[in-house]
Amino acid sequence: MSDESANPADRTETATTVDTADAADTTETEADGGETLGGASSASTVASLQARWESARDRELTVIGLTIVGVSLFPYLFARAPVVSDLLQGYQELASLMLVWGIFAIGFDILLGRTGLLSFGHAALWGTGAYAAGWASANITTFPLLLVAIGVVTAVFLSVVLGWLSLRRGGIYFAILTLAFAQMIYYMASAPLAFITGGDNGLTGVEIGSLLGVFDLGTELPSVAGTLLGTWRYAFIGAFLVLSVTAIYRILNSPYGIVFQAIRENEQRAEFVGFNVWRYKLAAFVLSGTFAGLAGALFTIHGQYVPLSSLYWQTSGEVVIMTVLGGVGSLLGPLFGAGIYLWVEYIVSGGYPFDWIAPYWLLVLGLVFVTVVVLFPEGIWGLVGDLRDRVATRLEER
Amino acid sequence: MSLLTETARVLLNGLQTGAIYVLLAMGLSIILGTLKFVNFAHGALYLLGLYAGILISQQTDFSQGQLAEYGLSTLGLDWGFLAALLLVPLIVFVLGIAMERFVARPFYDRPDTDQILFTFGLAIVVQQVVRILFGGNSQNFAQPGWAAGPVALPLVGGFPQWRLWVIGITAVLVMIVYGLIEFTDFGLVVRAGTQDAEMVQLLGIRITRPYIAVFGIGAALAGVAGVVGGPLSVVNPTVGTDILVPAFITVVIGGLGSVRGAVVGGLLLGITESFLIQWSLVIPSLGIDYGFAPWSQVGIYAIAAIILLVRPQGLFGSEVDVS
Repeated sequence: MSDESANPADRTETATTVDTADAADTTETEADGGETLGGASSASTVASLQARWESARDRELTVIGLTIVGVSLFPYLFARAPVVSDLLQGYQELASLMLVWGIFAIGFDILLGRTGLLSFGHAALWGTGAYAAGWASANITTFPLLLVAIGVVTAVFLSVVLGWLSLRRGGIYFAILTLAFAQMIYYMASAPLAFITGGDNGLTGVEIGSLLGVFDLGTELPSVAGTLLGTWRYAFIGAFLVLSVTAIYRILNSPYGIVFQAIRENEQRAEFVGFNVWRYKLAAFVLSGTFAGLAGALFTIHGQYVPLSSLYWQTSGEVVIMTVLGGVGSLLGPLFGAGIYLWVEYIVSGGYPFDWIAPYWLLVLGLVFVTVVVLFPEGIWGLVGDLRDRVATRLEER
Repeated sequence: MSLLTETARVLLNGLQTGAIYVLLAMGLSIILGTLKFVNFAHGALYLLGLYAGILISQQTDFSQGQLAEYGLSTLGLDWGFLAALLLVPLIVFVLGIAMERFVARPFYDRPDTDQILFTFGLAIVVQQVVRILFGGNSQNFAQPGWAAGPVALPLVGGFPQWRLWVIGITAVLVMIVYGLIEFTDFGLVVRAGTQDAEMVQLLGIRITRPYIAVFGIGAALAGVAGVVGGPLSVVNPTVGTDILVPAFITVVIGGLGSVRGAVVGGLLLGITESFLIQWSLVIPSLGIDYGFAPWSQVGIYAIAAIILLVRPQGLFGSEVDVS
């Protein structure tokens, strides 16, 4: 742990190498390796290219630029490109769903990966964001942007309360307390508040209007944008993903965000230096809750329905799995974790051409998750980073 | 029904619901207190006890799982409930020991977060294996013939006999565990280990063996909970994860590592739950008749929240901060 802590920038470095590849595409390693190998004809060119890349990849513009490129190419590659999409069996709506969960997961990683707090109650924040947006759409307004705002504000409010209650005790207590309070909210929604939430049936009657009153989210974008991105809905969600990545990048690289990392590495020392650790933890919780609420509201806009299970602790478990699978502590790793999880959940479990493994999809995910926890604490993102480093050292040796 | 009858009924039902929480929480609590190991797979042990109990005590028609596809749709030894009650704790005890050796031990030196993540993943794996083998549909775990049907009690009237047995079995087990921890040399080492494991080792006591036993006993208690609780609840692969949350709440309310805390916490939750199921607020003059049954699950979490706000270390927890 300590060698990583010495250089916080190193984490983000690995985190920003391969964002061009789409979430479910495992060919990203080759794409990344190829970039370096391409110039291997002369050693000096390689060195200079490599040096330029090293200096550029950590910059904000690179990260955001590559995220934008990735987000715009992803639905095309996933759902419409000739060979790739056939292999992946992807479709447009799943691509948007992956982004929604991706926002949830990268926000969750502020808490788990950066601050080192494991919450098992984020379903409450995600679900509340989703319910707030859904309820507002039926009762207040149907403008998507306003619905997102309502979802986020509600989730922020709730996360202040939940965080304040759960952070009274640290360590394992925190995991158990978040779990308990989230379950309390689940049971409130399931029966006593069924007149608002619809109880076991979930929240139906969600109605989503058009963006700014002009663009219907269900329709396709004009010309090239339509081929690449598909629907307005995807563009809407994609824009929020880019915004989220930008915001999280800014936060984590600010002096304020570095304190989160200090708390993870050594809480006591951070306290001695003079930081109010408790307040920073609460801030991290509320920040991750903000993105959970944002993702929840987008989930409602995406599916136009809120199932009761979105508050259940299984949902918290899912985001934990996604984050750990993708790579705890990396900026974009959880995005890939979310993509892979949903790909397995929706495509592999669906049968052809995965008949032989379809009934075991969750077992497979569970086993992979356990393996990652034991052997690769850095997740898939860390594995990719290791591979990249190995290629780089081999090139330097030549 | 008179108020007295109703109160007695609420108490008995509460004791029974609480008994299951107590059995689970006792195991969780002593493992957490002594080994400092957070076991999110404790519910999986309950699940395994439940299915082992079904398989030993009766013959069940598993129509959906993979085993049914191989032609093994009717499974079970049909040895009767008593056999299950005796054998399951042994089986789960062995499972618990294996778990200590292969799951817990490699994680003692790693952060709490890793322990939680790993055992959480393990719980998913166990749940999925059970689902794949026996199918995801609900099964019926028959009550033992000798304890089926109601029994006439003074004051309460007819009351399901098996529920009383659950309370009785739990009471006996609680006394055994309490005696073991408070009055034996083994218990002395365990308690000392809870305070300061390093010091115990410096005194020349091999602490690993009592630790293994603690894990085994905790697991066996979860197995018993599965067997005695099974006939009173639905039986399907998700029950393990569902019951884990109240069990954890019980531990947190009672205080880590405290057997007394687990008992008081479990009974408190059980009685709260059964009280809210029974209670309805009736004010005829205002036309109010509101049943609180929907709040029964919310109630136990609200109780937990209140206790933690007033007494963060739990009812019987020591002031020492365990985090």
